[in-house]
Amino acid sequence: MPLTDPQRADFDKLVRSDRIVLFMKGNRHFPACGFSATVVGILNELTPGYQTVNILEDQAVREGMKEFSSWPTFPQLYVNGQFVGGCDIVKSMYASGELQKLLGVEGERSGKSQEKELKRPAVTISAAAAKAFKDAATEGGNEVLRLEIDDQFQCDLHFGSKVPGDVEVTSGGVILHIARASVGRADGITIDFVSGPQGMGFKIDNPNEPPRVKTVGPKALRAMLDAGQIELFDVRPDSERARASIAQAKKLDADGEKYLFGLKKDAAIALHCHHGTRSRAAAEQLLREGFTNVYNLEGGIDAWSSEVDPSVPRY
Amino acid sequence: MSDHPTDFQGDVRAAIKDAICAKMPGARVEVTGGGGHYSIGVTSPAFSGMSMLASHRLVYAAIAHLMNGERPPVHAVDTLTTKAG
Repeated sequence: MPLTDPQRADFDKLVRSDRIVLFMKGNRHFPACGFSATVVGILNELTPGYQTVNILEDQAVREGMKEFSSWPTFPQLYVNGQFVGGCDIVKSMYASGELQKLLGVEGERSGKSQEKELKRPAVTISAAAAKAFKDAATEGGNEVLRLEIDDQFQCDLHFGSKVPGDVEVTSGGVILHIARASVGRADGITIDFVSGPQGMGFKIDNPNEPPRVKTVGPKALRAMLDAGQIELFDVRPDSERARASIAQAKKLDADGEKYLFGLKKDAAIALHCHHGTRSRAAAEQLLREGFTNVYNLEGGIDAWSSEVDPSVPRY
Repeated sequence: MSDHPTDFQGDVRAAIKDAICAKMPGARVEVTGGGGHYSIGVTSPAFSGMSMLASHRLVYAAIAHLMNGERPPVHAVDTLTTKAG
């Protein structure tokens, strides 16, 4: 639907509300789509100061900006009131240096990357992975092996064209190009090639990745408990504990908490509840408290009863 | 990537190709993808001297009818490459 003059004037004001305005899905801390996340990642590397507008919050802005920009999708980047383009164009301009020029940051690195010197990351590629890469590479192509790691530590390992700014590292006879924006997250990674449930695949271990809650099934947990390798805590209230409980589980009451917080931060700790939902939330909280080796019993005491010990009542 | 349901009847990739060729006679068009997400490559002399932004706008204008409405067949263009020639 074409914009009226007053609507057009309003959008004109909006795109000039800051030197750099990004119309995106979500916001810079929680981008709601991959393309928006990519542009945010690029802007964060170049300049800390930019405005974002979450078009998911306002249908009128969402539809109006499509008209205003003559552009059907988001993200949409505006600089000095001018439409620059969407994700494809921003990526291309970043790679060529045009974006840095436009933002006035060429030759200097502002934003996050100014804080650290660009240190060449240490990467280890196993012999199996190196062989797999060499087998996969096509002869005589212009494609190189590239790695990008986003700020959620999702890895994208692929063959593609070299991108300006890529940092080259060598291991196992293989040259790996790491996207400049990913270098800080790549130090110490190891790349292996292993068999898994879906066949052979690359496995990347990244020591920089923040700890996540690990899932453990009842049988595996029982084995760890029997071997004395892990401590199990029950997050349920007394009323539920009275109906059914696991012998090796400690209650998470005031004494239980004191005991738990007295453990070393890398101690192996498992939490359980009835089905696994509350204990997962509690496990996430333990990570925030600095524990790094936290497990959630998948399926809770319900699964424990089904798979390990039918003498434990189900409720 | 999630599927995007649509009421569009017929081959979406062919529709994209036809729409671009209709607006840009002589263009060579390659389309891959499905489930609402497509990647498009267009080569045409019309792009010569044009900025990337203007070239992309031209292609988007050609397929606008496939991206509008409640459940459009084209939900997103993941990669758009335009080349003069």
